[in-house]
Amino acid sequence: MKPVLLWSDILLFLLVFISIGAAWWARRNPQLCAAWRQVGASRIGVAAATILVFFVVVALLDSVHYRERLAGKAGESQQYSVEVVSVLDAVLHTQKTRTEKTYSAPLAMHLFAKESLTDSAGKSVGRDFPRLKFGGQHLSNEDEWAGDVAKHIVIGLLGALLLGSALVFSLRRIVLACAPWFAWQAAAITLAGMFAVGGVIVALAPYYHVFGTDKVGQDVLYLTLKSIRTGLLLGTLTTLVMLPAALLFGILAGYKSGWIDDVIQYVYTVLNSIPDVLLIAASMLMMQVVIDTHPDWFATAAERSDARLLSLCLIMGITSWTGLCRLLRAETLKLRELEFVQAAQAFGVSSWAIMARHILPNVMHIVMITLVMNFSSLVLAEAVLSYIGIGVDPATISFGTMINTARMELAREPMVWWSLVAAFCFMFVLVLAANLFADTVRDAFDPRGRVS
Amino acid sequence: MSLLSVKDLSVQIGAGKPVDAVSFEIKPGQTFALLGESGCGKSMTALAIMRLLPPAARVQGGLVDYAKQNLLDLPEVEMRRVRGGGIGMIFQEPATSLNPVMTIGQQIGEVLALHCGLRNGSARQRALELLESVGLPDAERRLDEYPFQLSGGMKQRAMIAMALAGDPELLIADEPTTALDVTIQAQVLDLLKKLQQERGMGILLITHDLGVVERMADHVGVMYAGQLIEVAPRDQFFANPAHPYSQKLFASLPERAGRGQRLETIPGMVPPLDTQHTGCRFTPRCASAMSHCKTIEPAWYSIHGKQQVRCHLFDPQQVGMNTVIKAAPPKPAAEIARVQTNTLLQVCDLKVHFPIQKGLLQRTVGHVRAVDGVSFALPAGRTLALVGESGCGKTTVGKAILQLLQPSSGSVQLAGQELTGLSAHALRPLRAQAQMVFQDPFSSLNPRMRVGAIIAEGMQALGQKLSKQDVEARIAELLGQVGLRADMATRYPHEFSGGQRQRIAIARALAVNPKLLICDEPTSALDVSVQAQIVNLLHDLQDKLGLAYLFITHNMAVVDYLADDVAVMYKGKIVEHGSADDVLSRPQNAYTQELLAAAFTRMRGAAA
Amino acid sequence: MLTYLIRRFLYAIPILIGVNLITFALFFVVNTPDDMARMQLGTKRVTPDAIAKWKAERGYDKPLLWNAQAQGSAKLSDTIFYDKSVSMFAFDFGRADDGRDISTEIRSRMGPSLAIAIPVFILGLWVAISFALLLVFFRGTYLDLTGVVVCVAMMSISSLFYIIGGQWLVSKVWHLVPISGLGPGLDAGRFLILPVVIAVVSGIGGSARWYRTIFLEECNRDYVRTARAKGLSELTVLFRHVLKNAMIPILTGVVVVIPGLFLGSLLIESFFGIPGLGSYTIDAISAQDFAVVRAMVFIGSVLYIIGLWLTDISYTLVDPRIRLS
Repeated sequence: MKPVLLWSDILLFLLVFISIGAAWWARRNPQLCAAWRQVGASRIGVAAATILVFFVVVALLDSVHYRERLAGKAGESQQYSVEVVSVLDAVLHTQKTRTEKTYSAPLAMHLFAKESLTDSAGKSVGRDFPRLKFGGQHLSNEDEWAGDVAKHIVIGLLGALLLGSALVFSLRRIVLACAPWFAWQAAAITLAGMFAVGGVIVALAPYYHVFGTDKVGQDVLYLTLKSIRTGLLLGTLTTLVMLPAALLFGILAGYKSGWIDDVIQYVYTVLNSIPDVLLIAASMLMMQVVIDTHPDWFATAAERSDARLLSLCLIMGITSWTGLCRLLRAETLKLRELEFVQAAQAFGVSSWAIMARHILPNVMHIVMITLVMNFSSLVLAEAVLSYIGIGVDPATISFGTMINTARMELAREPMVWWSLVAAFCFMFVLVLAANLFADTVRDAFDPRGRVS
Repeated sequence: MSLLSVKDLSVQIGAGKPVDAVSFEIKPGQTFALLGESGCGKSMTALAIMRLLPPAARVQGGLVDYAKQNLLDLPEVEMRRVRGGGIGMIFQEPATSLNPVMTIGQQIGEVLALHCGLRNGSARQRALELLESVGLPDAERRLDEYPFQLSGGMKQRAMIAMALAGDPELLIADEPTTALDVTIQAQVLDLLKKLQQERGMGILLITHDLGVVERMADHVGVMYAGQLIEVAPRDQFFANPAHPYSQKLFASLPERAGRGQRLETIPGMVPPLDTQHTGCRFTPRCASAMSHCKTIEPAWYSIHGKQQVRCHLFDPQQVGMNTVIKAAPPKPAAEIARVQTNTLLQVCDLKVHFPIQKGLLQRTVGHVRAVDGVSFALPAGRTLALVGESGCGKTTVGKAILQLLQPSSGSVQLAGQELTGLSAHALRPLRAQAQMVFQDPFSSLNPRMRVGAIIAEGMQALGQKLSKQDVEARIAELLGQVGLRADMATRYPHEFSGGQRQRIAIARALAVNPKLLICDEPTSALDVSVQAQIVNLLHDLQDKLGLAYLFITHNMAVVDYLADDVAVMYKGKIVEHGSADDVLSRPQNAYTQELLAAAFTRMRGAAA
Repeated sequence: MLTYLIRRFLYAIPILIGVNLITFALFFVVNTPDDMARMQLGTKRVTPDAIAKWKAERGYDKPLLWNAQAQGSAKLSDTIFYDKSVSMFAFDFGRADDGRDISTEIRSRMGPSLAIAIPVFILGLWVAISFALLLVFFRGTYLDLTGVVVCVAMMSISSLFYIIGGQWLVSKVWHLVPISGLGPGLDAGRFLILPVVIAVVSGIGGSARWYRTIFLEECNRDYVRTARAKGLSELTVLFRHVLKNAMIPILTGVVVVIPGLFLGSLLIESFFGIPGLGSYTIDAISAQDFAVVRAMVFIGSVLYIIGLWLTDISYTLVDPRIRLS
């Protein structure tokens, strides 16, 4: 095994470390603690966070990449597969490798399309739906299907019940001991739901394609889980790009009026005036040219699609920093007139120190709120951009590319609906959880938002 | 026959009771004043009567009897007829209480259409009459103007006209003059008085200002922590305030007679809303508290017939206790001979002009002369009061002296060194000598910094090389000097009350051992009793450290108490300058006279 | 007042120059015309001749900024920068890869775009504001809570699903209206209903929630208390006082997009096969037709700047504080 560090992996883990560091630092500040405690005490917030944690874990598992060692003969030099795989791929090995020929419905035993069948002697026996290579293969008698599915569902639910209740009770013990304000019931109920669904899927997955297969026979469950990383990455790494620019320019423009303000305002008005989609489209087209004309820069296909993903983050960061920048500028203008800033000026504290010590901490709630609110819109944007063809590399599995291929299938009669529904459900749950979490965070951090 | 009678009115917010069993009545043509410091439930009482409480608050019980019906039981439709019709209301902030995008005429017309059925021409005619009756100059034009085009006093007049439009029998005035300048305050109060006489209207006046009460009220109710604690006819109340809290309110007013003495203060502050009370609520702050005050809630006791007070001191069963105990007379402060010393601050012809830019190319077409040629000198260890109304440029002077604003011309010399035109770097060592205390204790402390860090910032910025222990020791010393505990250094500002915050702000300024402290309205955002604490503190610090104060204020009473010299500012210029005695007793300038008249007619009663 | 508007109008010039420079840098500096030719022609046929021919056909064979060989002013004007960027100010966008004139194409496609965008804009605004007012009127009740939850849920659905779901439901299941295309004249209405409804529905969640926040913020202000103290009914307070004040922040977000309506809706148009500017842009993107994308970028920013200017004007109409000072 040879570990592969993609740039997006590095940045994602960097972001995780930054978040942990920020949390550690915030621990000492009673106001931030109080705000986060309010989030923790909110049932909706905790339920949403529990779901988000699941998505983050999947994305992180999908961000540890390596190349497998090829089974070579002894004495030969080590050979590695050109295919870069992740830990998630290893976990989902069965789903990844057991591809069918083409479409099959969820939990089906047969292909979706009729084919000319031949018997063992090679003689044609007419057209029918052939049995799948993997789905339901363990059943010799097709009549057993319903009973078998029911059996696995029951097994899954029982397993989930056992494991889930163990987890919930230990969680409750820990929570009641160290954080009694935590809305642990909400977490427990959410976990119960997730375990029930997860248990059924885990129990069925080894024997069936739970969400069916797509046109080239890939397992839709596998595709959906792989899509999570792309969406999450885009939602978070874009932040990493835009945050420094927005903070620096927003506060600088607000605090130092005059020509600095004029220049910064000019830059963001120019950037703002180009419709986002067009700017992204133009930039992505140009990036694609760069990537295509320099094939020698990338060792593997994964690195190439990673470069495209990163450039998408970069470009979306460039188009989205202006919004936060404007908010920060306006807030800094207000703060600048407050008396504690003037008190610092009266001591001759330097401008940079005032901006860092007095302005920055007092705009952090805006940053916090904007970041969580942006996340969901970025995930949604990814799907649209990839659908249009200016998003991630078509080879990268993402919600957008899934929808793009699934959309073609709608025209078929009878309809192939499952990949679309699977993508819809996962995306909806992810974005809804993010939106609800963002709402809770805003309520906790925004002093104005509180309705008395 | 009373116009409005409130019985046992209680309001609840969460676990707290901002209004607790309040009862009083108002007769037609009379004014009942609810007096008290902020947070004692006066405004909540008024809003409860109008049934306009914020969503979190609800009426818990009681009776509001108006026109033979209980307002609290009235269906909402009927209640709307009472609001604006039977009972009119005016609010504290005329600037935010008028709809910014509707003309004055439209806003008055709304009431006329609703309660008098007047529309179009007749409504306009009536609105015009109303505006004229409240003495709004140029009333015809004002009808079509928007609130932002009117000055503060004019807005409040328009507000009054609006409240009168429904021809109410009762007017609720919630701090009607607090947001206005002194001279305007007097005019608005006179207007209310005149309108009351013309219309025979009852007024429920809500205020924290004894002067306003003295001028307006027939009856006074003193509120403390949600309860009425004393109810009396005005003259009796002013002649002989009974409740210890009422007495302290009088004593903590700075006044001429008490010059050089410490002000009486009420220790502590109004208890927070969610306090669970047992016994008398004033006990923790009361100088005459007895052992059972803490446990037994006092009943109402009558003294001198109509004066009623809720205090155990007046319980006839308490033998020998049914007399008013006068608090111990205030200790005279140590008189320190203030020797005339060298001039510390010399300001010469200081001008601060802000350009007005107009036209396509934003050319400067003129200047707002915020400060227009101000000169004065301040000797070390003395206090100069810079007096004037809002917008006269007095704060701008303070900021220009500290070079927080770039003066347009003129010179500022601090201990012989010219400050204007210095670079930020050259200015830094001089900054230790002059510091500022700001008006609003809530915005003058960074909410994200600990108190210790706030105080230490100046020391570090001015490059004092101190070890960590030294800094901590110095912070502890400074906190002690301003009357706070050393362990408060690790807390955040939001845990402190307004008065405590102002003490922290003073400690921050003192940290760099300044010789000059510019105090910009340091007490105007504080309650009377807390104001006295801060004024005393400033007085003590001057004696101890030999500080010179440039005291920027509009509050004549404080000036009188603290200042050695007074400079009166009007429209960017100093119109009168001299020793405090001369300026206050023998004002020469017409504006000064007006200012003093407005301030001291109000103080007369209070000083009684 | 007038000078203010003129000054704001003049402000557009440096911004358009900025946009122009960015697009120029993006299209001609990040990648040379050679790169683009190689990309367009594919790897097989890349010969220097083919590249030269491709560039000559499109006028990319000139120097970027300075033509040393030309005479006089042509040293400046006979360049890619002058041909491709400066000429955009005269709304001359050259030809698309398929040889058609971009300006004519844009003019003919504006109509269908507007036919969708204008109804969507007006209906969307009306529905969202009404819904928000309803929620604010019942604030603090379960109706309000449910409404907010519905808004958040609606916001969490990708617009792609609205379109796909709507198309499937209405056209395939209920067979009510044609699934895509655009008929001539009045018949167009039949084709337009579905895209308009879908676009409106997909936008409600986000905007209604945003308006609700604005209304609630206004409801907490002092003048609302004054209005209630006058005895006005809650409905009058909401419509006469709150709505009027809330229009000021709402205008900032809304007016600026009006000119952008010309650009049409990218997704709706391409899904429903409507020959507007949105689908034109999408087609150009997938065909990698740089000239068209460049033209749309420029037009988009011109429209945005007009939007900013309209915002200024509408402010002065709504807010007396700006109109009269």
